[in-house]
Amino acid sequence: MAIKKYEEMNALELDILKEIGSIGGGNAATALSSMLSAKVNMTLPRAEILEFNEAIEKMGDPESVVAAIFVEMSGEIEGIMLFILPQEFSDDILFRMLGKTRVELLELEEIDTSVLTEIGNIVISSYVTALSSLTNVEVELSVPQFTVNMLGGILSVPIAMMGQHSDRIMMVTGDFKVDEKSLHSSMLLLPDVKSLNILMKKLGVE
Amino acid sequence: MAKKISVGIADMKIARQEGELITYALGSCIGIAFYDPMIKLGGLLHIMLPEKSATDSNVLKYADSGIRETLRKLYAFGATKGRLVVKIAGGAKMFEMKGPGGLGNIGERNAQNVKRILMMEGLRVSAEDTGANYARTMSLDVATGQVCVRTAGKPERKL
Repeated sequence: MAIKKYEEMNALELDILKEIGSIGGGNAATALSSMLSAKVNMTLPRAEILEFNEAIEKMGDPESVVAAIFVEMSGEIEGIMLFILPQEFSDDILFRMLGKTRVELLELEEIDTSVLTEIGNIVISSYVTALSSLTNVEVELSVPQFTVNMLGGILSVPIAMMGQHSDRIMMVTGDFKVDEKSLHSSMLLLPDVKSLNILMKKLGVE
Repeated sequence: MAKKISVGIADMKIARQEGELITYALGSCIGIAFYDPMIKLGGLLHIMLPEKSATDSNVLKYADSGIRETLRKLYAFGATKGRLVVKIAGGAKMFEMKGPGGLGNIGERNAQNVKRILMMEGLRVSAEDTGANYARTMSLDVATGQVCVRTAGKPERKL
C-alpha cells in the first residue's frame, strides 16, 4: 500500500528506514573517521514520526545556536539531508584539522566554515552513496550550504517542506561519537513522501 | 517577571492584561503579533505556509486561515479592528534551495501573503522584521504591547 502521509507508516517500514540510517550512517562514520584520524562511532539510528514542535524539542533548545550543513536531494529521492554540529563538535573538528582552540560559532572565519562545510559534505555524500547503492536509486545532491543559526530556524526548513502534506515530519537521525567522547552531532535524513514509497518499493516492501 | 506563554509552530495563543507571549526561532515561518492596547488583549500566531490547502484541517498552519481564525477569536474577546496593532517577524531564507513547489522562497511568499491577508482584513502592519537569512525569536508583552525580536549574536530589537 502506498504511503500518503508519514503517520501511515507501519513498524516494518520504520525499521527499514532505521536500517537505511544504519548503513548510511556507518559509511558516513567511516569517512569522518579517516578525515579526523580518530575513532568515530554512530549511535543506533532512530526513525521517528513526530509532530512539528515535538521534533524540534527532541533535537534540543530551539534557540541554541548550531552550525548546519544542508544538502538538497533530487532525482528519484527528493528531500533534505542535514548535518547539525553544536559548538563542542565544531571545536573538536577545528582543533583536529586546524589546531584551533574554541572559535565561537558566530565568529567562525572563512577557513573554519570551509573546513566544516567540507566535513559535512563528505559525511552527507558517504551517507547518501550507501543509501543509493543499497536501494539502487539515483540521488543527486545539491551544492552543500553552511549556516550558523538557531536550531529551530534550521529545522523549520524541512518542517515547511513536509508540512505541506502532513502535520508531522519523519526523520531518520543518528549521532556521531568521536573517540568515545559523547560529542553530539546529528545527521538527519528527511525524504518526502513520494520518495519514501520509491524506497520501499525498491526494497521489496509493498 | 511576566509569565511566559510559549507559542509553537502552527499555533496561536491569546492573553489579556499580563503575560509574555513568545515564539522561538522563527525561520521561514512568520510570527504575527496582534495587540489591542485599550483592553490589553494580545494574540501571537506562528504560521508556516502561505495558503491553506482544501484538505488540511490545521488552520493555524497557514497565513490565510491562521490570521482569520486569530482575528475571529480576538474580536470575540472584545478587540476592535480600529485599535489593533499588528507587527510581524520571520520569513527568512535559511538556505538557497530549489525545493518542490516554490519552497525555495517560502519565507518571502509567507511574508507577502501575510501582508496581503492582513490588508484584506483591513489591518496595516505597523512594524516588521522580515527576510534575511537568520532565525528570530519574537515576543509580545501583553501588559505593554511591546514586541521584541532577538537573533543569535545580536542585541534584542524592539519592534
